[in-house]
Amino acid sequence: MQYDVVIIGGGPSGMAAAIESSKLNAKTLIIERNETLGGILNQCIHNGFGLHYFKEELTGPEYAFKFRELILNEKNIDVKLNTFVTNIDKENNVVTIKSSNGVENVKYKSLVLSMGCRERTAGNILLTGTRPVGIYTAGTAQKLVNIYGKMIGKNVVILGSGDIGLIMARRLTLEGAKVQAVMEINKTSSGLRRNISQCLDDFNIPLMYSTTIFEVVGEKRVEGIYYGQVDENYNKLEDTRKFMSCDAIILSVGLVPETDLVSDLKINRVTNGTYVNDYMQTEYDNIFACGNFLHVHDLVDNVTMESLQAGKCAALNALGKLERNKEFNVLHSDIVTYTIPSTIVKGEGKVDLKFRVRKKFVKSNLIVSCNDKIIAKKFVMAGLPGEMLTISFDKSEITGDINLEVKSNEN
Amino acid sequence: MEKVYDAIIFGGGIIGSCIFDDLTLSGYSAVLLEIGGDVASGTSKANSGIVHAGFDATPGTLKAKFNVEGSLMYPEMCNRVGVRLGNCGAYVIGNDLKKVEELYSRGLTNGVKDLEILNREQLLKRIPNITENITCGLFAKSSKIVSPYVLTISLAEEGILNGGVVELNYNTIKVEHKNGVYEVTNGKTKYFGKYLINSTGNAYNDMAKLIGSETYDIKYKRGEYYILDKSEFSVAYSTIFPLPSAHSKGILVTPTVDGNTLVGPTSYESDSSVKTTDLGLKEIKEKSSAMLNNVNLKKAIRIFSGVRAVVGDDFVIEKSKLKPNVINLAGICSPGLSSAPAISKYVISELMQLTYDLKKNAKHKLVPYTLSKTLPKQELNDLIAKDSDYGKVVCKCEDVTVGDIKMALNRPLKINSVDGIKRRVRAGMGRCQGGFCLDKVISIIAESNNETLEDVCKEGVGTNFIVGNIKE
Repeated sequence: MQYDVVIIGGGPSGMAAAIESSKLNAKTLIIERNETLGGILNQCIHNGFGLHYFKEELTGPEYAFKFRELILNEKNIDVKLNTFVTNIDKENNVVTIKSSNGVENVKYKSLVLSMGCRERTAGNILLTGTRPVGIYTAGTAQKLVNIYGKMIGKNVVILGSGDIGLIMARRLTLEGAKVQAVMEINKTSSGLRRNISQCLDDFNIPLMYSTTIFEVVGEKRVEGIYYGQVDENYNKLEDTRKFMSCDAIILSVGLVPETDLVSDLKINRVTNGTYVNDYMQTEYDNIFACGNFLHVHDLVDNVTMESLQAGKCAALNALGKLERNKEFNVLHSDIVTYTIPSTIVKGEGKVDLKFRVRKKFVKSNLIVSCNDKIIAKKFVMAGLPGEMLTISFDKSEITGDINLEVKSNEN
Repeated sequence: MEKVYDAIIFGGGIIGSCIFDDLTLSGYSAVLLEIGGDVASGTSKANSGIVHAGFDATPGTLKAKFNVEGSLMYPEMCNRVGVRLGNCGAYVIGNDLKKVEELYSRGLTNGVKDLEILNREQLLKRIPNITENITCGLFAKSSKIVSPYVLTISLAEEGILNGGVVELNYNTIKVEHKNGVYEVTNGKTKYFGKYLINSTGNAYNDMAKLIGSETYDIKYKRGEYYILDKSEFSVAYSTIFPLPSAHSKGILVTPTVDGNTLVGPTSYESDSSVKTTDLGLKEIKEKSSAMLNNVNLKKAIRIFSGVRAVVGDDFVIEKSKLKPNVINLAGICSPGLSSAPAISKYVISELMQLTYDLKKNAKHKLVPYTLSKTLPKQELNDLIAKDSDYGKVVCKCEDVTVGDIKMALNRPLKINSVDGIKRRVRAGMGRCQGGFCLDKVISIIAESNNETLEDVCKEGVGTNFIVGNIKE
């Protein structure tokens, strides 16, 4: 088997990349491990998707459905479902896949990594205490509730205020469980403001900041937790230790890009994803990356936009039309944790620079400069660690490394 | 007339399962009663998985005797049941040459072969990441690693395959001795046996009280561990110990046969709860980093603890003086795993005065737990062509297929638990810890066992994942 563009992962990012690749007449293959395209969207039955891309408010499955329809209309896309990639051979441009058809090799000219991310686990966060049944990551709980229609507990504590945790607080409440509290070890939430308001405030679920689980209690099933506050260095403050009974703990404590198949690529220690330039191209000329595989997004629409670019550039590369020129670095001030892309290829066209900040700011200007010349400036009312920020500019003005700053407007 | 077994064994840990299998292979009838949802569900599932060379135990103790004998029996035993034994060797490293030399001579006294004293330069060539404090060490070539639960399961299954009976979730409530025969019941099913073997580990005293045999002053020692991601495997290709203290062999760093790295255990007196603690994790961090550089505990995929029962300084392996034909096996802490085959042989041939001959009734050979991912490409493709389930990957981290899980559900020992599947074929054992596959594994177990999703347990009675339907 041979394709111009092979895309690993058929979630929102893989689907968007495929559509753009196909439009450029590149023979494209999507490899998806599940029985259907759509990835995590299929279990996100709440609404709020598509406002930017489709200009209407959709649920996750609806957003996925619309994209599947688009894929069906594309002539250049093949899809392999229930298929796993077991190896990527970058030397020979071959991926090995495993399915009911056996183990096969697929040759690619360009490869798009859109494998998304996985959830951090109880082990990752060193959740101490016993190991009974009743501890779930938010995504697993979401799958059991939304796909299987099954409840995993009646009296729930949620650790971590990431978006899936917030959504699950509301979901479980609506399904009849008592959600006692959402505990967040940080001083701020990494979830969207609208989710805190619509999923917690509307249901009187307390969000406890600087608070975490000290110890899980229960031999067979979770019987409760010891919890309390932490100091600035996340040390548990033992004198704040209290008991709360519960029969389930939901963990929404972060997502990690699924880089296992390409563990030898350079990994950004902030995003845990790979580095890319504005072509969404990794350090390998023919390997592209997009979506939550690269960095965790707040909105699926942002995933889609970014992945269209990856699909386009992957196709151009496969067709021999993409030239990798000199690249300039994107530098940034300390409040910015990372930027995507991290380098910009010399040339023409528009760049959408996406980034996150490490702490809250208000009324500030986002400023991009190059050789002391301001090339883009944008005023924002506020920024939060949980929300991705974007600034766009024309790259023909770039003659060297560029610098991104967030400058307060309040003096 | 009810069947009277030659032996009833309480407790399906490594010791009980090994005796059960050896008795069965030797042509005796045996039944193994396990209170948990699986064999190896207590101490035997949560330890370092090391077959010690035997240099550490005090000469003259049962620990020293059985460790050295047992470890020599491992290759043949593992080969027989198709369980992988990793010949990775072990280093004991530190900065006190005198202590290293003591260990060396203790090893010689205990009959351990292939020991070697190394200086810092020699150590550095083999373990480049030793810390600055390390000046000397002992290398024990014969130290090995094994999956303690796959071994225990395989032994129990070999016993079943050759005529033995294993009952899981069997909570013994009464033991009576009538006319030279013991009658055992959980309130539903009765078993009759000539011999009783109490190898219930942490629950030894509870069982002894039911039997009417000796109880001992049992202390519990908790051992906490980190399991690291496979990405960290290069931190230790051999088992690395610090110089031992009076209380324990210390916090070690070891590879596992499955390609992970274990760091631990703590060893402190505790209750019998298998919990992890902040203090324990901190101790592991400090001690492991004093010995080796680059022990990246941030790459933990799981933390766990195991509790071992300790009676004084040595194992208790004896015939009861209070009750006839009762064998007391108490305080089989470390090196219990290493000693298991030797203890079994001793119990059968010396304490029970039966003929230990593992070939006598070895009629059926156990099919090993071979995971499909380990097959060569052509063989795997042939297998998938025959059974397409082997092409359906369920656990992405460990590349476990529907076929592998169904295989594990159709073994001599029937289980219905997700943790049982995890230990047998590693679904959910990888870095995402079941985040991707839990629902699929639950579904496959339910379908395969003709149960509902609600019936499927994590491990044993009362650990069902699903508590009901969502609102209609």
